[in-house]
Amino acid sequence: MADIDEMNRKMTFKLVYYGPAMSGKTTNLMRLHDLLAPELKGDILTLETQNDRTLFFDLLPLGFRTPTDWLVKLKLYTVPGQVVHDATRKAVLSRADGLVFVADSQRTQSVNNSESFQNLEENTRRVGLDFDSLPLVVQFNKRDLPQILTEEEVRSRWAQAPWPLTFATALTGSGVRETFVKLLEQVYSYADQQLSLSETHGMSQASFVLAVAGS
Amino acid sequence: MGIQPPSFERDLTLGELLAGIPPLRLDAALKALLGGEFRLLSRSGDVLLGVPQALTGTVRVAVNHDLEALGWLEALASKEETQAAATLLELLCHQGARYHMASDLHMEVVQANYETLQTQYAALQKSEARYRELSQQLEERVRQQVEVIETAQRQLYQAEKMASVGQLAAGVAHEINNPIGFIHSNLSTARGYVDRLNTLAPTIRNHAPLAAIWKQSDMDFMIEDFRALLTESLEGTARVTRIVADLKGFSSVDRAEDDAVDLNECLRSICNVSQAQVSPLANVILDLGELPSLRCKVSGLNQVFLSLLLNAAQSMDAHGEIRIRSRHAKNEIHIEFTDTGRGIAPEVISRIFDPFFTTRDVGQGTGLGLTVSRDVVTAQGGSITVQSEPGKGSVFTVVLPASTNE
Repeated sequence: MADIDEMNRKMTFKLVYYGPAMSGKTTNLMRLHDLLAPELKGDILTLETQNDRTLFFDLLPLGFRTPTDWLVKLKLYTVPGQVVHDATRKAVLSRADGLVFVADSQRTQSVNNSESFQNLEENTRRVGLDFDSLPLVVQFNKRDLPQILTEEEVRSRWAQAPWPLTFATALTGSGVRETFVKLLEQVYSYADQQLSLSETHGMSQASFVLAVAGS
Repeated sequence: MGIQPPSFERDLTLGELLAGIPPLRLDAALKALLGGEFRLLSRSGDVLLGVPQALTGTVRVAVNHDLEALGWLEALASKEETQAAATLLELLCHQGARYHMASDLHMEVVQANYETLQTQYAALQKSEARYRELSQQLEERVRQQVEVIETAQRQLYQAEKMASVGQLAAGVAHEINNPIGFIHSNLSTARGYVDRLNTLAPTIRNHAPLAAIWKQSDMDFMIEDFRALLTESLEGTARVTRIVADLKGFSSVDRAEDDAVDLNECLRSICNVSQAQVSPLANVILDLGELPSLRCKVSGLNQVFLSLLLNAAQSMDAHGEIRIRSRHAKNEIHIEFTDTGRGIAPEVISRIFDPFFTTRDVGQGTGLGLTVSRDVVTAQGGSITVQSEPGKGSVFTVVLPASTNE
């Protein structure tokens, strides 16, 4: 659940981009930084990388003020996708309020995708989160590449799953904002039940999304 | 669990974010940029850098980090200059945040890994302990199996020995019985002849010339002695016959395995068989009570009794006495071998039933006699015990359950 700071009138949502190595999590964050125009937007904090691969995490802070003059902060994190960094992944995942699973659309990456998704499910439970109720959007990235699963194939494979599916090409920015908006909608619904955002803070889902993602 | 490191996500203060930068050098640089005195305040109003007291006529600019104002910069410079200096501080904060978050996350991960290792270590230790226990159980089972095999080997060895003795005895008995038969028969006939010759004596004594020769040749004594010689020889053949029969009985080659026997008969037979070895060393006194017949492996028990008797005889330093006593009481048969030999030293007595333990010289004993004896008696459901006093003698007691179905 979001981190509430009554004294400083501040609520912080932690949103995590998860997925296999090289699936485009950091690229998603960079495009969001360019595409979004919220009231408050920080610089991307990129920790150590090695050959263009995330070792710790990337962080993009976004924020706005509610009509009740509360500061709403959204901290967007990426995790390192490489299998060896599982402990880091778990640390970043803990206390998350919403997840985007960034899958690689290439046919050759199907196994990595499913292993990473299984890892997400396991780690979510390990850090004490309820995987079944946690807001989650599944994004199939790299739609610009050849040899990818078609949308029909992806949809039929994920037909039984309850999570919204999106398709994106993070390199060009296509689908990145849509994925994020879908996540914001879910996060709002989830938080509204617990924090009564609409009653206490006068925030509807539409105004919440608009405040962060713009129109 | 150890110390819980601070979370990498916690909100950092302006002081923490600038902690890595030497304050004097930052102070000097800002003073130069702003062209004079300034103050850097934290969000709570503490002075972090610059002059301690409030200045009049200053410009105040927020220093932002992570979407929030972490502090303020007050200077006597222009708005633009102050803002530029604040931006520079914000960039420094950004780098400070990178450092703090990376190191805190690293600490968290190290701590988590350490805890995982601790858990794995505990699990390993547990499984190691289990394996050690299993290996101990295994060793114990191996020891038991070895014991079983050794016992079986000893019994097999004994059985083989008895079988060869038995075959030999059977062969000898067969070979001896035939000549002994005709010797006995011939001696009886010869004694009859002597008796008939003796009937001629009165006639010859009354015939003067013959009487003189008769007397000269001392024929009266000769005939009488001749008869005595034949009688002794007949007794001798009877003894040979009996010994051959006892030998056969002892080796029991012609007996079924589990036979009902009178153990007193066995004891007598053993005394006969071993008489030559025992009598020079000791007198054997048999004190045999009424015993029920016992269903048992006769050859094994015979071997036990023979071992005990020979051991007793060999324990004699001077000519002594061996008393064999048998009794039946409370559905148990007790057989005691009491000797007046040198006895058994206390430090040795606990080992006398151990395999290959012997006090005799090399080649004199295998050290298996008492071991096998105990095996045989145990197999029969009985027990064998010893009491001994050095210098006075020993008592070996064999206790066997009397058969209930007899």
